[in-house]
Parts: sequence; C-alpha cells; structure tokens
Amino acid sequence: MPLSCSQLSVFYGRRKALNSFNLDLKAGEIRALIGPNGSGKSTALQALAGLIAPHEGHVEINGKPAKVMSRRNLAKQLAFLPQQPSAPDEMTVEQLVRQGRYPHVGLFRSYNDHDERAIEWALESTGLAGLADRSLLELSGGERQRAWISAALAQEAQILLLDEPTSFLDIGFQVEVLNLVHRLSRERGVTIIMAIHDINQAISISDRVSLLEKGQLLFDGDPDMLAETGLIEKVFRVNGNFVRITPGSRPHFDIELTRS
Amino acid sequence: MSISMPTGRPSLFGSLTVLSVFIVGAFLAAVFLGVADIPAADVAAVLTGNGSSEARSIILDIRLPRIVTGILAGIHFAVAGLLLQTITRNPLADPSIMGISQGATLAVTVFLLFTVYIFDPGSNTLSALPLAWLPAIGTLGGIAAGGLIYLLAFRLDLGPLRITLCGIAIGAVLHAAAIGLIAGWGSARIEILLEWLSGSLYARSWTHVLFLLPFTVIGLAALPALQRSIDLLRFDPTVARSFGLAYRRQFSIVLFLSCGLAASAVGAVGPIIFVGLVVPHLARFLARRHFSLVLPLTIALGAFIVTLGDLLGRLLGQAEEIPIGVITAIFGVPVLIALLRKIP
Repeated sequence: MPLSCSQLSVFYGRRKALNSFNLDLKAGEIRALIGPNGSGKSTALQALAGLIAPHEGHVEINGKPAKVMSRRNLAKQLAFLPQQPSAPDEMTVEQLVRQGRYPHVGLFRSYNDHDERAIEWALESTGLAGLADRSLLELSGGERQRAWISAALAQEAQILLLDEPTSFLDIGFQVEVLNLVHRLSRERGVTIIMAIHDINQAISISDRVSLLEKGQLLFDGDPDMLAETGLIEKVFRVNGNFVRITPGSRPHFDIELTRS
Repeated sequence: MSISMPTGRPSLFGSLTVLSVFIVGAFLAAVFLGVADIPAADVAAVLTGNGSSEARSIILDIRLPRIVTGILAGIHFAVAGLLLQTITRNPLADPSIMGISQGATLAVTVFLLFTVYIFDPGSNTLSALPLAWLPAIGTLGGIAAGGLIYLLAFRLDLGPLRITLCGIAIGAVLHAAAIGLIAGWGSARIEILLEWLSGSLYARSWTHVLFLLPFTVIGLAALPALQRSIDLLRFDPTVARSFGLAYRRQFSIVLFLSCGLAASAVGAVGPIIFVGLVVPHLARFLARRHFSLVLPLTIALGAFIVTLGDLLGRLLGQAEEIPIGVITAIFGVPVLIALLRKIP
C-alpha cells in the first residue's frame, strides 16, 4: 500500500483539527478529499506528507513509517503541493520546476540527462514548455498554478498530494488539471489524493471519496455510494438532489437555491 | 558609490566592465593615496620590492593591511547580509540591525570593564588595555547573540519573517545594556569603545587580516556546497520541506555561517553599518535576472564599497580621519532609497 495512516490526530492548541483519521490509498487510485472549510482537509494532507507531526497515530509510506524517513527520501516517494504556495518573485518557471529535482540531486550531485528529461516532461505535461523562461510574476493565476504542479511532477514521486489544485482557476484550467491528474493515475500509475471543493468534480474524477467534517472522517468509499447517504446535504447544509445525467454516469449533485 | 548604478538600461556586459574599472581604480587609489604624502613613483617602487624604508613601512605595514582588512570585512558584511536576507525572506535583514553587532558590542564592553580590574587596576592608559583580544571577544559575542536569536526563534516557532524582528529586539536590549555599562565609566576605555563602535579601519594590521582570513576562506568555500539549500530556503518552509529540504538543519547552517562572517568582521573592525543591507540589493539590481551573478557581485561590491568608503574617510578627514562606519552610514541611506525606488 503506497500511503496509509491510522488513528491520526492533530491538535491546534486545544482544538482537535483531525480526530483519529484512518486512510489507505491503493496504488494508482485517485482519491478526492472533500469537506467544508475548516474540516481538516489541509491538516490531513500535511500530516500525510509528514509536514505536521501528528500527536497520535502514524503514517506509513510503502509500508515504512514516515517518521523515520529523511525529508529527502520522503520527497522522492511523495510530492505535496500546498494551497496557494508562494515562490520568490523573480524566479522563472524553469527554475521553480528545477527545485523539484532536489530530492534526487541533493546538495552535490550535478543534474544528469535523466534530471533534465524529468524537468522537460514536467513542463510539457503541464503545457508550460513555451513559458519556461518566464518569470512567475508574469504568469496568470492558472499558469502559475500549473507551474507549481509541474514542480511537483518533476519530483517523479509515485504518490501525489494536492491541496485544492483547482481553486482560483477558471473552469478551463480546472478541467485541464483534472485531466492531468487522470492521465498521471492511469498512464503512470501515480497514486493521488487531492482536496477539492467542487463536489461534482470530486465525484466524477475520483475512484474513492473521503468526506471530512470537523476533523472526523464521515464517509470513505465509492462515489456512487456517497450519493445514497445524504451526507453531502447535511454536512454542507445545502439542499439538493443527486441526479444521473446519462444512464451509467456518475451521480451529479444538483443544488437548490432558495431564492425569494 | 552611486557611480556604478547605471541610469537607463545599459547592457549587463557594459555595466560589469564599468564596475570592474571602478573596483580596480578604488584599490589602486587606496594604495597610492593617503594622509602621508608619498609620491606615486615611490609607492610603485615599494610594490615592486624597492623603495625607501619609510615608504615601505607606510605602505606595507600600514596601508596594505588596512586595505586588505577592509576588503575582507566588506566581503563578510555583504555576504552575511545576502545570506540573512535570503533565509529570513526579509529584504531589510542585516547583521548590523539583527543583534549580531550589538552582541559583539556588549561582549567587548563587558570585556573592557572586567579586564581593567584583572590586568592592571591602576592603569587607565590605552596601551595597558588588552586590545589584541577585542576581535576574538567581539566575534564570540556576535555568535552568541546569533545563537540566542536562533534559540528564541525555534523555541517560539517563529516564522523566518519574525526572526528578523526578534533579532532587532534582542539587538536593542543588548545595545541598551552596553550603553548602560558605558555610561558608568570614563576615560580611555570609552575612547577605545567609541572608536570601535563607529566602525573603523584605523591601525588595522596584518594580525587582523590573519584573524579574518580563516572565516573568509571557510565562509566562501562553504557557499557553493550550500547553493541548492540556499535556493530552497527562499521558499516558505512548507514548500521547501515538500521539495525534500531538511529545513531546520539547513536554515541553522546558513544562519550560523552568516553569524560567523558578520561577527568576525564586527570583532575586527566594529559595526560598519549598511554594507550588509545595501550591497546585496545593489548586486541584485546589477545582476537583474542573472541570479548566478548575485553572489560574485555581492563579494566584489562589498570589498569595493568598504575600500572606497575608507579612502574617502582618510582623505576627507586628513589627520582626523572619518571612520568608515560613518561614511557608509551617510552614503548608504541615499543609495538604499534610490534602490528602493528602482526595485519593483
């Protein structure tokens, strides 16, 4: 199992941000992590990425406890893209993507052909080959987000954690990111878990969905099953119905607005 | 100092050529010009191994060690400033405001206070005071202050941005303690301290060069090996760690490297303010998008600005020379303001 955790709890002061969280990812699956703002999605991802030390429980990467792994070793197996990451202003796209090779080259080894190919592949997969020499400041929000995804790809990790990769992108770029995620999973066997706000995108892209509320895992499983539970309406305090737009397609959540 | 700043946008090659001419010119001028009026021919003779013994003594025992001490100290301050600005991600970080200089000041003050009683309670003359120890004591004080900032920053889990503020606060406390001590005494010790506090290259000898050189060599030799971690330290900790950087370890190594460079320079020549702050900005401005040039330019400009500032201080003040620290403070402010206007 590429990535799993058991009984993970994280406190911020006295508030329990994550409460006995259990998760296991199968190789090559796409997992969507959904839940209202402040439900612990980011905390869960950061704890899985080894960036927050959990107060209880433990994380295992490929069967090995993450706690004992060095940062570099961990970064070779797992890439994490935080929400709205920031880079030094004057950096170019290529320089940013190059940082993704750090776990492989370390402080001393020089960049070899394989490293250069990985950088090239990361740029091409995100459609940024033509913008490699641009400064990050000159990019649009969507291009900048793709540059960050590209840097995470350059790590060539088999596990990818994305924290709201589609937020602040227009619908075109959102679909582009989702298609990329799908390609990585199906063509390269990358295991992906992503926090995402759009319920319908979560349901249509993922193999399994995990629903968090106040640090508690309420649902973990097949997206079709989620539709049956009625949890979405309860947790997000909205009214709506799951409908199937075409027979056999994934359920689509149709929200009712109260307009008076 | 503003002469090397291009107006408009000349080519990078052009401005680098102009800069190298200025740098070489400043070093030559520093050797050839001085309060003791030695004809240029005599200076040249000394440099080629001849010349009168008087000229030899002035050039080889007074001017050259002073210039070399200045060059090394300038490099130390500038590189320390660049490293601190990088890892704290704060463009205003500078060893002279972040507690390192103040730690050195307090250590030197306390040292002078106690040694007078230990060495020779009856004497208050300059020669009786153990001046040779000042660089080492100042260095220890500066590094100790750096250690204190580091401990507080990590104990309280401050972000790199707040480390700067923490350093400024610690610096203010240490400085106040030193001034409080000074206010209690009189005489020769104050004179030594004031001269040292203003940042001066006066009477710096080959001993000072030998004191600084190991720090310079180790500091500069470590930089290429740290280049990639320094690149990653410019990101926020979450991102840097996601890329696989052992953030805390690398941050500590670079912080202590810059503390060692800055503290040893403060110990040897006193706090020369603004060099650590202004030079990295000037280097970035000249290098523009050629990031690999920032470090070499920082080193060259650090050496250049201290040499030029000291030469100005010697020539303008004549026998009552103006300390280099005063010169850099006076000229540093307009350069900084000009740069702040140009930098987006």
